[in-house]
Amino acid sequence: MSEFSNWVRKWWPGLIPLAALWVAAIWTGTVPIEQHLTVQAAAALKDSVLDKTQIEVSGRDVRLSADAFSEQGRRTAVDQVASVPGVRLVTDQTQLIAEVVPFTWSVERDVVHVTLSGNVPLPAIKARLLEAAHNAANGTEVVDQMALARGAPVRFDAAALLLIDQISKLKEGKISLANTKVTLEGSAREIGGREAIAAALKNLPEGYTVEKNALYAPPYLFQVNKDPVASTLTLSGYVPDNNAHAAILSAIERKFVGEKVDDKLKASAGAPQGFLAATTAALSALSRLSTGTLTIQDRDVTLAGDALYPGANTRISDELAAKLPQGWKQKSELTVKPVATPVNATICQQLLTGLLAKGTIRFETGKAVIDPDSAGLLDRLIEAVLRCPTSQIEIAGYTDSDGDKEANLALSTRRAQSVADYLIKAGIPKERISAVGFGSERPVASNDTEEGKAQNRRIEFVVR
Amino acid sequence: MSFLVAFNWGWIAGAAALGFATGWVSPISRVRSLSTMTMRTSFAVVVALVAVSLWRVLPGRPGYWLDLGLVMFGAYLLGGAVGSWLRYVLLLRPDRPRGEEG
Repeated sequence: MSEFSNWVRKWWPGLIPLAALWVAAIWTGTVPIEQHLTVQAAAALKDSVLDKTQIEVSGRDVRLSADAFSEQGRRTAVDQVASVPGVRLVTDQTQLIAEVVPFTWSVERDVVHVTLSGNVPLPAIKARLLEAAHNAANGTEVVDQMALARGAPVRFDAAALLLIDQISKLKEGKISLANTKVTLEGSAREIGGREAIAAALKNLPEGYTVEKNALYAPPYLFQVNKDPVASTLTLSGYVPDNNAHAAILSAIERKFVGEKVDDKLKASAGAPQGFLAATTAALSALSRLSTGTLTIQDRDVTLAGDALYPGANTRISDELAAKLPQGWKQKSELTVKPVATPVNATICQQLLTGLLAKGTIRFETGKAVIDPDSAGLLDRLIEAVLRCPTSQIEIAGYTDSDGDKEANLALSTRRAQSVADYLIKAGIPKERISAVGFGSERPVASNDTEEGKAQNRRIEFVVR
Repeated sequence: MSFLVAFNWGWIAGAAALGFATGWVSPISRVRSLSTMTMRTSFAVVVALVAVSLWRVLPGRPGYWLDLGLVMFGAYLLGGAVGSWLRYVLLLRPDRPRGEEG
């Protein structure tokens, strides 16, 4: 053993080449081992959710700096790097990103940009929002001003994605999120855009609410032009849906006498509340004009044109104001059509008969109350009666053969009197008008068919 | 340790080979033997360096260089021990016929 000890005492000369070998190993091996450990550490962090990750390796020691999104994520990342084979020490320079209260985020559209700003909780969510913004922007440049922060409400990503989808419906404006409260401002691209966005926002995740919707949409326009020369009604603008469209066409058919309809209406959401009631009332007013234009812009009704006889303009305007739904405004610019040249009794009869051939004065079923839809026809009859100021007018009422004969006679008399009263109220001298009821006598068609009965229920004007 | 050996096995093998050669020739070497005092001092220095390494006192590259140096030195010592032992077993054992080494 002492012999071995003596040999060991002579091992020192080998230390000189050993030192040289050590220096050579250091010289050639340090950088490769650092590179190897950098790659391995990065691979270990591949699935970690970190931002601004920096890995610096010196020898076998790793300095890890990164922004983490949770305390657990931060610790896990450090542990993962420490477990890489070959790593000796990990210097932890990770930090949690700031928590913001309230957690705000917004998407804004102007003429040339779609800008995303505010806070997002994770880089992956940020990337998804940007991708969604690119899709929704449809070619417009997307600007990213978002910063990562903690404190996002639950299901923030779903809410933000839904809000980004709405940006395509905006001409310009901003949709903001403050915690779970959504605020919208700006203007919609099209009529109905505001309503379409409001409908889409009903799908916001649970807990999210729309605090303020200050979006503006282009005005909802509905226009009718009545041209007496061409006897045409031109309809343009928008109606809420096909049902409303059909209801308007049906109202026109009832209220107007023989006009052709040029229908250029389009269906669109965004109609103001009470649109159909207001439109029906305004069409009633228009039906009583000789020539006129009806314009409905949002809740403003403008009626311009010529009434058929003196006093009718004021009455039409007052009735329209009374019939419009609450919150609607009307502006009437009505004048009276100049009185046409007087005609003799024969022509007067022809005019009245011609008008009654185009339309029928309607009453409530079984009653002598004139249907308001007949106002347009009655105004025309009054205009014709005014053209023969020296003639006597007999208003004759008829019914079909259904029911009791006496009752029919009474009803026809009351109905004729209702029409006479209407004419007197309109300014026709009382002494020129007489009312007669004939019940089911003098039928003009067979009472065996419904069609024939409808023709027999009538009012006739006889000029004497 | 295993990573250090795996990554630098060539250099460590070289250190072991160098140790083997040194150990092989040391029985017949005429170089001056180190004094007991020098041996003790050297041992104390190595123990101190091992302690520094184990406690990871030196940071970064110097820490890595020390670890590598100690591993290579360990391999050198191991190689030296094997070299001297083989020489003893193969050539110097008293019950073996004397060879050319005398």
